[in-house]
Amino acid sequence: MHSQEPEIKNYIRRLRFDHGEMTQDQLAKQAGVTRHTIMALEAGKYFPSLLLAFRIARVFGEPVEQVFEYRATEGELRSS
Amino acid sequence: MSDSEKWGWWTIGAVALTIAAYVAFVAFLGHGPATSSVFALLALTAIPASSRRHFKGRRFDEREREIARKAFSVSFSVFWLAFVGFVLAIYFIKGWDATLTVPVWALEETLWWAASLVMGVQALTTLVLYRGGPHA
Repeated sequence: MHSQEPEIKNYIRRLRFDHGEMTQDQLAKQAGVTRHTIMALEAGKYFPSLLLAFRIARVFGEPVEQVFEYRATEGELRSS
Repeated sequence: MSDSEKWGWWTIGAVALTIAAYVAFVAFLGHGPATSSVFALLALTAIPASSRRHFKGRRFDEREREIARKAFSVSFSVFWLAFVGFVLAIYFIKGWDATLTVPVWALEETLWWAASLVMGVQALTTLVLYRGGPHA
C-alpha cells in the first residue's frame, strides 16, 4: 500500500540483530552519529542524508538499497 | 540524554532562574537599574551543560544540526513577531509624532528580555523537536 507521502523504510533494527545483536550505541559510534539519531531512524521519524545512509550501509557491509528502501507515492507510481 | 537536550534544559533553567530572580528583585526593590543586574544570570548559558570533567565540545550529528537550525529559525521568527508587535504597539499607544524619553536601564532590560526570549524559545524548540517532532 502506498501513501500520499514518500517514505523511506529502513531495516536497521533487523540488520543490527543479524550482526550479532549490535547495540544502537555501537552502530552510532561506527556511523559517527549519536544513539538518539539511530533511535529516530529506526522509529522512522528521521530520514538520513545520503552520506549517513552510505555510512550505515558500510557498517553492515551491505549495499545501501539493502538497508534503505524508497517507497514511492501513489502519484509517482501512476506517472511512471 | 544527549548534549543537545542537556543544553536545552540548561538554557531553559538559566532563563527561568533569571525570570524568578527578576520578579523577586522587582518585588523588593521595584523597577530600576538594580533589577537589571539579575540578567547577569544569563551568562550561565555560556557554560557547557555537559560533562564538566572532560568537556570535549558538543557532539553534533546531522540530525542535531538540522534541529538546531530549525530551533534558531523558530526563535528568530518569534523574536521578529515580538519586535514588530512591540514597534506597532508603541505607534498605536503613543502616536506617530510622540517623543519618547527612555532611561538606559529600561532600554537595556528590553534588550535583555529579547535575548531571553530568543534563547528560551530556541531551547524549548530544540527539546520539542528532539522528543516528538518530525526530526525526533
